[in-house]
Amino acid sequence: MLKTTVVGNYPKITEDKSAPNLRSALNKFDQDKISEEELEKAYGQTIRRVMKEQEEAGVDLITDGQIRWDDLVTPFARNIDGLEIGGLIRFFDNNVYYRRPIVKSKLAFKDYSTVEEFKFLKQNSTKKVKAVMVGPFTFAKLSKDEYYNDIDKFTLVLAGILKKEAKKLEEVGAECIQIDEPSLCFSPEKIDLVNRAIKIITNGLKAKAFLYLYFGRIKKLIPKLFDFQVDGIGIDVVSRPENLNSILESSFNKELILGCLDARNTSLEDEEELLKLFERVTQKFSSEKVYISPSCGLEFLPHETALAKLKRMVQAVKKFNSS
Amino acid sequence: MMLFTTTAGSFPKPDYLVKARNLFGRKKISQEELKELERKATQDVISLQEEIGLDILVHGEMERGDMVTYFAERLEGFGISGLVRSYGNRYYRKPIAKGKIKRTSPIALEIFQYAQSLTERPVKGMLTGPYTMCDWSFNEYFQTRRDLVLNLAEVVHQEALDLDAAGAKYIQIDEPAISTRPDELDLAIEAMKIVTDGLKAKTISHICYGDFTTIYPKILDLPVNQLDLEFANSDFANLEIFKNPPFTKEIAVGVVDVHSHIIEKKEKVKKNIRKALEIFPLEKVYIDPDCGLKTRTPEEAEAKLRVMVSAVKEVKKEMGLR
Repeated sequence: MLKTTVVGNYPKITEDKSAPNLRSALNKFDQDKISEEELEKAYGQTIRRVMKEQEEAGVDLITDGQIRWDDLVTPFARNIDGLEIGGLIRFFDNNVYYRRPIVKSKLAFKDYSTVEEFKFLKQNSTKKVKAVMVGPFTFAKLSKDEYYNDIDKFTLVLAGILKKEAKKLEEVGAECIQIDEPSLCFSPEKIDLVNRAIKIITNGLKAKAFLYLYFGRIKKLIPKLFDFQVDGIGIDVVSRPENLNSILESSFNKELILGCLDARNTSLEDEEELLKLFERVTQKFSSEKVYISPSCGLEFLPHETALAKLKRMVQAVKKFNSS
Repeated sequence: MMLFTTTAGSFPKPDYLVKARNLFGRKKISQEELKELERKATQDVISLQEEIGLDILVHGEMERGDMVTYFAERLEGFGISGLVRSYGNRYYRKPIAKGKIKRTSPIALEIFQYAQSLTERPVKGMLTGPYTMCDWSFNEYFQTRRDLVLNLAEVVHQEALDLDAAGAKYIQIDEPAISTRPDELDLAIEAMKIVTDGLKAKTISHICYGDFTTIYPKILDLPVNQLDLEFANSDFANLEIFKNPPFTKEIAVGVVDVHSHIIEKKEKVKKNIRKALEIFPLEKVYIDPDCGLKTRTPEEAEAKLRVMVSAVKEVKKEMGLR
């Protein structure tokens, strides 16, 4: 049986006027027109909506849609001493921005970043859930380092800090932790460093660890990638279609999360094409070890398209599993 | 004259315009009322640049939100998506290519003519390049990205012809997305050839957010006279790569960081200019900020430009240039 999952973020607002409106709540909060409690209520309602949409669509392994996150790094950067949150910078090749962390002094763990929101997800979901965190190398590459001046050292220090987050997530019940390392695809020469950094995080962890490599090419990461101390690897076969052959022709030995619905284009995938792809992939890998997912977080899409993609994905997988 | 000063294109919108755009979005004010304020803001941007002493001006893009959506909304063949978040609590509607792209009337011409009518100094005509238009749109119609890019190239070419005929001395065709996908550089070059074909104006392309090592020296084949690149952002760490093979075009060198609130010290900016002059021949160098100034506050933008212009003056004086 193939299973389905998502990569992380999900549209925070909808065009549906009756849905909780987080955008307006945030605006009102900024203008001191509503209290923090009221803003919290809007967050809670929005996260419940996002969870419910995934559950009703039939996704097997869900996230909270990262509704409290502005971007991939800021939620973590905020809770590390020695960092400042800098200006807006383009996030990879997307017309979307993130705030660049600036390293000013020795970094140290200050507080947990995602533990409370994970607890909420865990307590309120009817499905299996996963926690998501930024990978140490991607965090380092997205930052401006004015202190270490050494990407290796910087990455390993971050890995130590993120390790605490992962441990705590496990403690509060995380059975699956996803680590996002898209930057590795663009710096394949750093694979040994990233391997070491990920090992720091996953050492002694009983929860499943998934490494996610969206946006980029994986060819140059093979075969070293398969030595990583993780249980599964997520790859994006939409942004780089050649990734499909790279993985099919390899000695891949872990769980595969196949990002095959385009999370960056509104065009809806054809069900027949998806079924053909599933057929091809399961000829090579046991379907028990394959998750089907969008190519990256769905927040690059407007809400109605994101939801339509989730439904299409689950529909196709159900059809495949029953045939 | 050498070491002309200029800017990459956008200026921060004044509060009254931000409010007016918001009201227009909620249909509380008319198109004419909004346009009136856009013109007022454009006028202010032009006078500010004159007063600071910039050599080549921009109109400031007061009428534009997103640089791709602005054009797409005015072209046939594009639909506009539901809301997509760009950052924080800011959302925009992204173009969707739904059919063949056609231009029904000139888009960038009117504001260029207005801005140029306000000043004796040259104002750059500002366009978004076909590759970036494609890269930042959804596509539900074209079989390949190439098909969409080449269709857009024809459309942007018409825009460029209009600006050229209206007397623009400089036409800038921004391609910030180029550096993010080096494997499609050939396509971007092919498209730019269509855009700049037969233009009398000096052509410029602004490229940012990327690792230039992956596109250099191939980027020298982009058919424009000048490249406008960011340097301050990485503290000129990327300068060395332009040494060998040597840079062959004119270059606008970004000497102040538009992503930082901090106003650079004059000495720092002078040092940046001198660094650039070690690699690029003096007669080919223009000086500007790294990128558009729209993400800064009006005060920060003005302060950064003042430091920049004053640094250029001093460097020129020290070199015995006029």
